[in-house]
Amino acid sequence: MLAVYKKELRQAFTSIFGYVFLAFLLALVGFYVYTLNLKGGYASIAYAISSVTAFFLLLVPMLTMRILSEERKQKTDQLVFTSPVSITRIILGKYLALVTVFFFAIAIISVYPLILNKYGNVNMKSAYANIAAFFFLGCAYLAIGMFISALTESQIVAAIVTFIIILFTLLANALKNMIPTDYSVAFLVMLVLSVVLGVIAFVMMKNVPVAAGISVVCIAAVLITYFGVSKEMYDGLLTKILGWFSLVSRFENFTYGLFDAAAYVYYLSISFLFVFLTIQAIKKRRWS
Amino acid sequence: MIEVKNLVKRYGSFAAVDDLSFTVEDGEILGFLGPNGAGKSTTMNMITGYISATEGDVIIDGHNMFDEPEEAKKCIGYLPEIPPVYPDMRVREYLNFVAELRKVPRKERAAEIDRVMELARVTHMQKKLIKHLSKGYRQRVGVAQVLLGNPKVIIMDEPTVGLDPMQISWMREFIKSLGKKHTVILSSHILFEVNAVCDRVLIINHGKKVVLDTPEKVIHTIGGTDGLYLAVKGDEAKVSEILSAVPEIATIRPERAPEEGVYAASIFPKEGADIRERLFRDFAAKDMPILEMRSETKTLEEVFIALTGEEESC
Repeated sequence: MLAVYKKELRQAFTSIFGYVFLAFLLALVGFYVYTLNLKGGYASIAYAISSVTAFFLLLVPMLTMRILSEERKQKTDQLVFTSPVSITRIILGKYLALVTVFFFAIAIISVYPLILNKYGNVNMKSAYANIAAFFFLGCAYLAIGMFISALTESQIVAAIVTFIIILFTLLANALKNMIPTDYSVAFLVMLVLSVVLGVIAFVMMKNVPVAAGISVVCIAAVLITYFGVSKEMYDGLLTKILGWFSLVSRFENFTYGLFDAAAYVYYLSISFLFVFLTIQAIKKRRWS
Repeated sequence: MIEVKNLVKRYGSFAAVDDLSFTVEDGEILGFLGPNGAGKSTTMNMITGYISATEGDVIIDGHNMFDEPEEAKKCIGYLPEIPPVYPDMRVREYLNFVAELRKVPRKERAAEIDRVMELARVTHMQKKLIKHLSKGYRQRVGVAQVLLGNPKVIIMDEPTVGLDPMQISWMREFIKSLGKKHTVILSSHILFEVNAVCDRVLIINHGKKVVLDTPEKVIHTIGGTDGLYLAVKGDEAKVSEILSAVPEIATIRPERAPEEGVYAASIFPKEGADIRERLFRDFAAKDMPILEMRSETKTLEEVFIALTGEEESC
């Protein structure tokens, strides 16, 4: 695991991307801290940080796009996955390297509240809770980016798909307020989703009975809950589902200076889930 | 020792490798032959644990690849068809990474890297970026990587593809020298190479074992009886008449006449029959001089084509 970790860390800085990532991130944070805090005279770093979250859109793909896709394209995965290191450890090594690069930026950002404290009273607890939340949010995005990189051989495709997915998580919150909340629409959408799920299952497994089975079970579950249990369950369901994907909305409480342990748990769960999915995606490829 | 037992790899309904079994003894070099798409690379990828098998087992030095992969993988050095090198790493840096990955103890690492660089002759290139190396040198770096940690089993997928003649001859000598200390499997579609280097040959086609034996035996027993090249002065009708009277002849394949008024053919007698004397007497009786008669030993090439090449002519 250590070998992969060290190699990835070194590669991040022998290629240009590690530097560009850090420079871009720090420049953005620096810019917002300068305008909002130093020029604007505002004591909390929260607004500066939350302004930067949208830029994960560009930052994350930069770091994650080649992490697994490039190994596959250069066929170096034949070396890595035939070495006496388990797939889980290899993926963890890679993920920790990504997190470490991001952590360099966090370490520098952590100095800012101390600097601001020279000029006035800074609520240290809230500032560092905010920076920690920013770190965990980044970790969640990095896990998502790594997962997408595991699915393709092309860096470019990985970068674009990561961009789109992160864009979706950013817009999910706004989208939530625009979609209809009544149960009939939710019911129809759930039926469509059941079919889509079956199609995805077919594309991934090439197995008609299993894919059809998944669709049928989902449709049956939707029909039973809708007609059998209660239609009210479907009230606002779409809004709720979209809310699950809204990573940044979890960040809002920190921006208002509130401490939200649930958000930490949410981010860590997302990170854990996508690291797990990456491992599964790699393992699955050995079988097909 | 490598044991492959009833190995199967299916992609949907297509079987890339179909019930393949063989063993390779310690210190043996096994040549793995087959036309493109026969399942050579797939088999090697399964032996090294890169992909999983649909059915069957691979046992490396007593460790089952699918039950205890880490133990089994420790015994293997693998050189895939395309050397698995990182273009933006320096040679030494790359070998250091592989040594760490292979769990070569920290104290021995530097000496071990020096050793393999010496063997693969890349010592003078150690500070170069791999992307600046030629194909031949990349292949050597791949070879150096294989030797790290002195694995018991070495597996190479078409190690001489894309090398120039000098490098090919070096590579062959090198593989031969490996056979003394390591168990080696190497795949190739160049038969001469396999003949020159390997102790035994495994030919597969459509994922199935066609034959497994020493190169000599493959040529002799599997290739059937040797043919007889015959050139007789006289016209075809007369020659055919005499030949058709010999019951031991199985097939006759006419060849291009070497000169005017001469009929030439390759004759394949039935199993074990020696018809040379009879032919001499028969033709002498009709006053038709035999200008040339010689045994034709089949090459591995012909055997290979006879065994595998029914449809692919391109």
